[in-house]
Amino acid sequence: MSNIQRLNILLLGVLSLSFASCNSEAPVLENDRELITDLILTFVEVNQTITPIAPPLYFKASDSQGIGIGGSPTIEAITLDRNKTYLMTIQVLNSIENIDITENIIKEADQHQFYFLGPAFSSNIIAISYVDPSGKSIGLRNILSTTNSPDTNNTIWRIVLRHDLDKKFLGASSPNFENFVQAGGETDLDITFPVILN
Amino acid sequence: MPKFPLKKLFATLFQKLWFNKYSPPTFATMIQKVIFSIALFAFAVTQVSAQKCDLVLRGKILHLENDQPIEAAYVWILETRTGAVTDQNGNFVIRELCPGTYTVTVQYLGHKEIRETINLSGSTTNQTFKMQEESMDLSGVEVHGHRDAVQTTTAVTSLYGEALLQSRGESLGESLKRVAGVTTFSTGNTISKPVIHGLHSNRIMILNNGIRLEGQQWGAEHAPEIDPFLADEITVIKGAETVRFGPEAMGGVILVNPPTLPTNKKHTTELNLLGGSNGRMGNFAASHSGGSEKIQGLGYRVQGSVKRAGNIRTPNYYQANTGMAEYNFSGSIGYSSKKLGIEGYYSYFDTEIGILRDSHTGNLTDLIEIIQNGEPFIKPDFTYEINNPKQVVSHHLAKLKAHYHLSPEMKLNFQYGFQLNQRQEFDRRRGELNARPSLDLELFTNTLDIFLDHSRKSSWSGSVGINVIQQANSNIPGTGVTPLIPNYDMVNGGVYLMEKYLKGPLEIEGGIRYDFRKVSAARFIGNELQEAELDYQNFSAFLGGLYQLSPYFAFTTNLGTAWRPPNVNELFSQGLHHGAAAVEIGDPNLNSEKSLKWVNGLEYEGKKASVEFTAYLNQINDYIYLNPTGETFVSLRGTFNVYEYLQADAFFYGFDLSGTYSFSEKFNGYLKGSIIRAKNTETQTYFPFIPSDRMDWGLAYSFGNLANRITLSNVLVAKQTREPEFDLAPAPPAYALFNLGYNRKFKLGENQFNVGLQVNNLLNTEYKEYMNRFRYFTADMGRNILLKLNYQF
Repeated sequence: MSNIQRLNILLLGVLSLSFASCNSEAPVLENDRELITDLILTFVEVNQTITPIAPPLYFKASDSQGIGIGGSPTIEAITLDRNKTYLMTIQVLNSIENIDITENIIKEADQHQFYFLGPAFSSNIIAISYVDPSGKSIGLRNILSTTNSPDTNNTIWRIVLRHDLDKKFLGASSPNFENFVQAGGETDLDITFPVILN
Repeated sequence: MPKFPLKKLFATLFQKLWFNKYSPPTFATMIQKVIFSIALFAFAVTQVSAQKCDLVLRGKILHLENDQPIEAAYVWILETRTGAVTDQNGNFVIRELCPGTYTVTVQYLGHKEIRETINLSGSTTNQTFKMQEESMDLSGVEVHGHRDAVQTTTAVTSLYGEALLQSRGESLGESLKRVAGVTTFSTGNTISKPVIHGLHSNRIMILNNGIRLEGQQWGAEHAPEIDPFLADEITVIKGAETVRFGPEAMGGVILVNPPTLPTNKKHTTELNLLGGSNGRMGNFAASHSGGSEKIQGLGYRVQGSVKRAGNIRTPNYYQANTGMAEYNFSGSIGYSSKKLGIEGYYSYFDTEIGILRDSHTGNLTDLIEIIQNGEPFIKPDFTYEINNPKQVVSHHLAKLKAHYHLSPEMKLNFQYGFQLNQRQEFDRRRGELNARPSLDLELFTNTLDIFLDHSRKSSWSGSVGINVIQQANSNIPGTGVTPLIPNYDMVNGGVYLMEKYLKGPLEIEGGIRYDFRKVSAARFIGNELQEAELDYQNFSAFLGGLYQLSPYFAFTTNLGTAWRPPNVNELFSQGLHHGAAAVEIGDPNLNSEKSLKWVNGLEYEGKKASVEFTAYLNQINDYIYLNPTGETFVSLRGTFNVYEYLQADAFFYGFDLSGTYSFSEKFNGYLKGSIIRAKNTETQTYFPFIPSDRMDWGLAYSFGNLANRITLSNVLVAKQTREPEFDLAPAPPAYALFNLGYNRKFKLGENQFNVGLQVNNLLNTEYKEYMNRFRYFTADMGRNILLKLNYQF
């Protein structure tokens, strides 16, 4: 066998080996597990000992598609009464994957925090404080009180969920901390609700 | 004027000068001889230029022990009594030789003389001679190991020897900044991609030992997966080289070449130990090569490197989560005989890179806030720890190469390459998802090249070949994130033909190529399976020439077309680019980009000065770019900017200049600069991330028998005033940096020991580079003091 023949056999062998393999895999449906599709706010009127004295009110912001092209979120108006105290709790859901993200937030309490901003608070229409059972300021459970004499009964309320922030940052423990970006981290939710005060 | 007797006279003078037994060679007389020889030779060449014989012998003279080029070695052809002296890169050219057999001698002080018989038949003959030190006790004259030199008429610049030694410890992108016209497109200080004449990513090509590197190079934050330590020479070709290397080589090509394998029993080892104060970086690299004693022509090499660094410091603060770790290995084994050469090669690259924490933003508000702040909100202390967001990338490359000399004029070449690229990108996520990558891609690439080189007795030489690339990209399920790019299969087939013609001082080359590409992609959008089949085809061609105007001046010109089919991300992106607060929308109907690049080079190689000037024009039709639509997208997470992939005709032009000047034997200076202009000619607007005008100059002083050298250099970068209509932040101001270096060469017995101390950003200047994507978030790297030890034995 000549050298050329040997070389040819070698070439053929390598060729058949290499091009027989390697096709791409069939794509697999991958849902966004971290996606937040629903934010549900539950308001219960309470007395001084934080005992419910009225049936709960639910207000929701939802985006069934999550962050996708075309879909836009639906945000309900929050309707509350003047001069009342409410216990407000927050539930965060991924309805596509059926995951209650609230639990994850509680588990990682030291990495998450809700901030409540906008004219509703800056114009002293609503006052809010954290009453999370863990003792850590997360903002999943809050006491809020509405004023008796607001300048307007139409205002807006911005809810921001920060992830991976420095909770010890100066001012970060306030639920109305406007400069939350300075505490680092990133925004997971940024929703502005209209508020109607009757 | 009688020419022949004059030639004889020169030859006699040369002989008198070099073979005078009564004057023992000293360094000073050597230098004088060399200088006189150059002058004499230059004069002689101009006198005998009317000869009919037109063959050229080109080559390189290297130290046998370390492959470093030898400057001022003397190459002499006994029969014709003509010769040449090597330049600082070890290169020499002897022109106007008639076909025939010649005896070539190579001489250099303190080295054994080489005497070899060479048969000049057609066109240019390239020969590398390796010189062995006199003191070394090795029997027999060692001549051998030829690497196929890049033979192109377009502008080529190589980084090797001392320049490469100085770049050790840097990434490939950073190292290549030493070449005029090459800049970087970077993401922070650990991820940098080379930019040639304003083009990067999929518009340039990087070859790892001859195999085109195939990673996920479309991503701005995806650095090339290659260890610069594996190379002993990094070459940048600045022309459109689609014909030679395949589609996408539009802006240029970077060749990362390991040294040639030894063919004798000599063993060499090189150790590099580096430390940097900024990031407290440590870097260790070792390579060992040797040859078989039993089997003549069998050689091997193993090489590896480890790098670890922590948080980078700007002049005033640490950048959070900017540490990195890198582990690399490569090995090769080869056999070469008179007719057959075979080489097997494997390289492995593995890296973990931390991404600046605050660069990862949740929405547009976050992004605007941090940009307004001008620096990160989080400024932690130093740590080596790498947290999310981070990238974990590994790359395997295996290659088998063979050539066989069918006849003295014909050489058959075969090259097969296999690559596996695995890329995982991690974001800050909740719960167990934090441990899962958000992007998990696996890319297989097979490349096959078969080509035939021929060189005839006349002045013609060339090659004809086929080239096949097959690629399979898969998203690994389980990320919990909608994939950014689809799964796809791609096959690209190309056939090409190139010819070169040589006559006297003129070289002309040209080539044509046809490519066909088929892409089939599949993915889920919502719950629907979406599939796409796309075909692309293209002809490309080039024509180039080199004219040696005089012994000192050479002019090159190269006109080449190139093409690039749209990439999968440009075709299929749809959705949120996590961390970038941007929604990106692809277009499956995009056309291939087609370009025409004209590169002209003028080289002057004088006694004291050398100058290289490159000017180019590059017209790119259907240039694909990411355009801000001006719209925003609102979600529960906040607002995002919307970007879409568009096409428009683009025109790039620019100049590169580099030069050196020796004021005296001890005192040298250099200067490099580049200017690029790029415009969207349809909208008369500027593209983002085009390098601004820049210049780098320095002075070097050598002392103590030239073994010590101090270099002071200054980098000047102008503000990019040609900004696109939309940018998240205005271009940063101009800046100037000073660097100081000290190198010392020691002889430890027969071994070479190099010590280098470098201070980069000597004055700890705070600056932002326009080409760094993290300029929006942070200042660039502050002062960095590096200690570099290199030992060769």
